[in-house]
Amino acid sequence: MEADMTDITEACAADGIDIWNRDDMEPRIREILDRTVRDRTKGPYAAKSDTDITAMLERYFDDQGLKEVAISDIARMAGGASKEQFAFLLRHEGNAVGERLVLRMDPLEAITQTCRGREAQAHRAFADILPVASVRGVDADGAVIGQPAIILDFVHGVTEPTRGKGHGVSGIGTRYDDWADRLAPQFIDALAKVHQFDWRGADLSYFAVPEAGTRQAAIWQVNWWSKVWWDGIVQPVALMAYTERWLRENAPVCEAPVMCHSDLRLGNFMFEEPSGRFTAVLDWELAHIGDFHEDIAWAMQRLFGTWTGKGDFLVCGLIPRAEFLRSYEALSGNHIDPVKLRYYEVLNAYKCAVIDLGQAMRAATESNNHQDLVLTWLGSAGAVFLEQLVTLMREA
Amino acid sequence: MLPNIDLRIANMIKAVEQVILPALPDRERLARDQAMLVAGHLRMIGDQWKWALAYEQISLDDLAGLGRVLLSHVAPLLQEQLEEALAVADTCDRSSITALEQANIVLGRVVDRIILGEGDPNPLPQAVADAVLDYGRRHARRERIWFKGNRLDPDQADLPDIGAMMAKA
Repeated sequence: MEADMTDITEACAADGIDIWNRDDMEPRIREILDRTVRDRTKGPYAAKSDTDITAMLERYFDDQGLKEVAISDIARMAGGASKEQFAFLLRHEGNAVGERLVLRMDPLEAITQTCRGREAQAHRAFADILPVASVRGVDADGAVIGQPAIILDFVHGVTEPTRGKGHGVSGIGTRYDDWADRLAPQFIDALAKVHQFDWRGADLSYFAVPEAGTRQAAIWQVNWWSKVWWDGIVQPVALMAYTERWLRENAPVCEAPVMCHSDLRLGNFMFEEPSGRFTAVLDWELAHIGDFHEDIAWAMQRLFGTWTGKGDFLVCGLIPRAEFLRSYEALSGNHIDPVKLRYYEVLNAYKCAVIDLGQAMRAATESNNHQDLVLTWLGSAGAVFLEQLVTLMREA
Repeated sequence: MLPNIDLRIANMIKAVEQVILPALPDRERLARDQAMLVAGHLRMIGDQWKWALAYEQISLDDLAGLGRVLLSHVAPLLQEQLEEALAVADTCDRSSITALEQANIVLGRVVDRIILGEGDPNPLPQAVADAVLDYGRRHARRERIWFKGNRLDPDQADLPDIGAMMAKA
């Protein structure tokens, strides 16, 4: 399992990537993570009231030039382990009837620290390709609203069957049962379309592209998530240090970087009942340009799956693993390399452990989230990923 | 102690589930979600509190065991720091959860630096890799059992209860 350092050194010379250069990451990601550390002391953070939200939105739409802005019917939305989300009605001089929109806003600190500007660009890029909510406004650094935020069209639908049996935090544990036959093909189609997207022609100015044919795509991810870990560490975990080293020493080459959603799983798509038609692919906040294996490995995580009555594992509660891989390859044209897939399974388990045991614990410790209690609840699941890491690295 | 801790935890869960939650309208999702999590956390704390000191002792002892394995492989740069951290682990107040946690952090920081190869450009010796993975498995399993009550673990049915784990430790 351990890489030979001679090989590593030669590989470094070959592709020019220094696997231990922690500064090698997307510039915007670095900005967001540095901002997180800088703003950490501004807490504690409290959940925003309707009055707060009204004032923030009026300020934003006034700044956008709308006249006689009136915000009403504010309703906090379910979920939101990462962001504060509110549905609201916007009325103004040009629209007296009003329209229903969604505010998706950063708390001071969340389980993931990401960029609303990147999220808005990803939504716009896929507007004609996948069902995604239209972007109605973005305040990438919170200059006007006060917190970084994105404003989206309200999309109708559900993230889990209304009469389903399983419900859990952030969609975990959702059971689709009879819905799976209708949802699984759309799920795989969405993954394929994300990876087939021609990012070269899109406005993705907040994104950077790792160099094709090198290990940079993987190392950028390792540097991103290890920075989150070390910047927020509450208590050392030996396995996290070991995994980071393993990820650096075993980073694979990415021949052709593609757009990755990075969180396409159960709970992150909406569909309408009773047709089962997808109405939105959600939560693009972790999107980046990288290796498609990362998305495939993410969807296959045990925590995001369910088991049939016969004990068979269903990827995202939708489809057996082998069928998932076969269908994805057929639809996308991408060939799945089992070695790279295993690498990204390790990387994703590491990311989840960073989120649960690192960032979530730091945010909760600082009382910087609108629902610290959810963060400590998710944190209590962190060891699931640790044991997965041991298993995955031993099998690699 | 009367009323004792178990009774009061049970009372709090009952109040949340039978009084507070039913009084919250469906549209108050944040309040409802958090009330349910309060009950869930209380239930877990009820399972854990009697074992908390012993749990921290076992956790520190296990990490110290890993630290002692690393002693024979550590680079000169970190040798002294590892020995000092192990001494803290050996001499801390074992009746104090806070002291045990702090000793764990002090030792864990040095262990992390060794694993990452600070001061040592050579590959991690296989014996060290094996020791870290063995420790990692024990640590993860212990934590999974400790937090089994969150019901998020896909394999929770395979895990023993806290009492059974502690009896074997």
